Amino acid sequence: MMGFEAFPTAFLFLIGGLILPLIPKGPIRGMYMLLIPALAALMVWNIGFGNFAQVPFFGFDLELMRVDGLSRIFVLVFCLASFLGNVYAWHLRDTTQQVAALLYAGSAIGAALAGDLITLFFYWEGTAIASVFLIWARGTEGAFNTGMRYLIIQIGSGVVLIAGVALYYHDTGSILFEKMTLGSLGTWLIFLSFGVKAAFPLLHNWLQDSYPAATITGTVVLSAFTTKLAIYALARGFAGTEILIYIGVVMTLFPIFFAEIENDLRRVLAYSLNNQLGFMVVGIGIGTDMALNGTASHAFAHILYKALLFMSVGSVMFRTGTSKASELGGLYRTMPLTAMFCLVGAASISAFPLFSGFVTKSLVLGEAASAQYQWVWLALVFASAGVLSHSGIKIPFFMFFAHDSGLRPKEAPRHMLISMGITAALCIYIGVFPQTLYAILPFDMGDYQPYTMGHVVGQLQLLLFALLAFGVLMRTGIHPPEIRAINLDTDWTYRKAAPSVIGFAARGVAVIWNAKIAFLLGAFNKVVARLYYSHGPEGRTAREWPTGATVVAIAVLLAAAMVVDFV
Amino acid sequence: MSEHETDPAKLPRLGRMLLWVDKPGSANKIFYGLAAVCVVVFLLDFTYEKHAYFDIEHIPGFFAIYGFVMFTGLILAAKALRVLVKRPEDYYGDKAVDSEAYPEDQLEKVNHDGL
Repeated sequence: MMGFEAFPTAFLFLIGGLILPLIPKGPIRGMYMLLIPALAALMVWNIGFGNFAQVPFFGFDLELMRVDGLSRIFVLVFCLASFLGNVYAWHLRDTTQQVAALLYAGSAIGAALAGDLITLFFYWEGTAIASVFLIWARGTEGAFNTGMRYLIIQIGSGVVLIAGVALYYHDTGSILFEKMTLGSLGTWLIFLSFGVKAAFPLLHNWLQDSYPAATITGTVVLSAFTTKLAIYALARGFAGTEILIYIGVVMTLFPIFFAEIENDLRRVLAYSLNNQLGFMVVGIGIGTDMALNGTASHAFAHILYKALLFMSVGSVMFRTGTSKASELGGLYRTMPLTAMFCLVGAASISAFPLFSGFVTKSLVLGEAASAQYQWVWLALVFASAGVLSHSGIKIPFFMFFAHDSGLRPKEAPRHMLISMGITAALCIYIGVFPQTLYAILPFDMGDYQPYTMGHVVGQLQLLLFALLAFGVLMRTGIHPPEIRAINLDTDWTYRKAAPSVIGFAARGVAVIWNAKIAFLLGAFNKVVARLYYSHGPEGRTAREWPTGATVVAIAVLLAAAMVVDFV
Repeated sequence: MSEHETDPAKLPRLGRMLLWVDKPGSANKIFYGLAAVCVVVFLLDFTYEKHAYFDIEHIPGFFAIYGFVMFTGLILAAKALRVLVKRPEDYYGDKAVDSEAYPEDQLEKVNHDGL
């Protein structure tokens, strides 16, 4: 049955993206790109909870619009991220990127509102296809190659998803996207496909490979959607799945080591993003109402401060052409506002009291502690110190302070400052007035209070003593310097190892093939030479060849005639 | 001051104010100021009653010690990791983003003095 009580929010973006090329470039198109996410947010905010748009599809009922506490907060923050990203990209005159940005946001929103797994699949692939254009728009060969790798993995995730959905439907007879229990092959495939997009350990490297390759504005947009969509999907489908706790812990830990030695600051942020996802995954694994609130609120806060950090690195890149720490430093002189905004982002992600990360991450840590996961909790506290080291210190320090690179770029353009300013203000607002965010979380927060003496003092001790350790390591020269280099990660397996194994195998096959051909040719040549020797014009048999041959031919004919006659 | 002299009058006002951090001795002041704040937050641990989930949280200054030790350990481990995984920037060839420049036409490279 068609039941369109409401226009699906995602269609706003999809239709909006399709008619965007008709809008004249410049401020009008800029306003148009801000209007769409603003309208979408208003719509989701006012519609109330419920299932709104059902569409029949080959005998299935698709649920295009499931608004509840969990989907609403993700859709709202996706709208916010799209809005801020479009402010940041105000200067852009590239229609492809603008359309891609809208379709990408729309797909992510559509997926978050999907009430069934088939709709989820369509939007899941939509995010993959729309987003790759933000990488390709860089227009270099390297970006093209990276985009291809990204696309293969993202589309692959969708293929695994639809395979899982088919098996799941076969097992249960339902395509509704509800909480699942790991067990059957179908649910494992769905879990795996979510895991690819959520950048689980060993499935993670598409993230660090692709985000630094996208355009300056593209990376800001990319950072918001794909991975948080996967977090939403995990929270919806696999809340309370214990294995997620351990997956999440590994996710919080391993990226901090890589982030520490990475030179490209946008890749540092990609590692840091991976680490932040780990906190959310742990919250999903614990699965209590409060833990899921922690995951949802952390995703909300994280999208903002991560976008802010990508914006600040992007602004520096916009003015200097590089995001490599080894080439930067001392930029606070001429880009002080960008530096300040970056510091707000750094303080937020490091979870300093009065900044957004503090009021959201403490929910996840608190739940890990109250469930008595002591090692998990210790690992998360360590990972929190690790966040400080790369996102809190490394990003602002080596870009804006540290040694003077001699670069004196102009301050970021006004629209970039505005979008960074709004985002920074939101980071502080959430940190100071957490109740506003708590009020829109999926579950009731009770009288939870993040600002207790124990919390604040504990967190300050952790962060300030980690800062002190940084100071000591810098003064003693132990801290590793920023150098022009890359670091191997799992992408090595398919960028280097697999090609070289295939290359090696190809060479091996080629050697054998050539040897075989050479052998056969040699044998053939020998036969020809022998025949030539015996039957050639100078050969022994050639002398009697004509008469001998005629006799043989007549004998054969005679034999044939006799056989025919006899029969 | 650095070897790259810039006329402070041409800097944005906020940038001019921040020049303090590069003055000789400022780094020391920041470091010892931080150390002093650290001592204070360490001592704050004795002023309130802890509602801890784990026994280790009752160790005075647990978070301080843990933060300092683990941060140092992280940096040392990362240095060791670098020995294993570091490769030249063009390791993946010249068709990778690491070894190619960002397209100039998508940038707006302007110096602070408009040059």
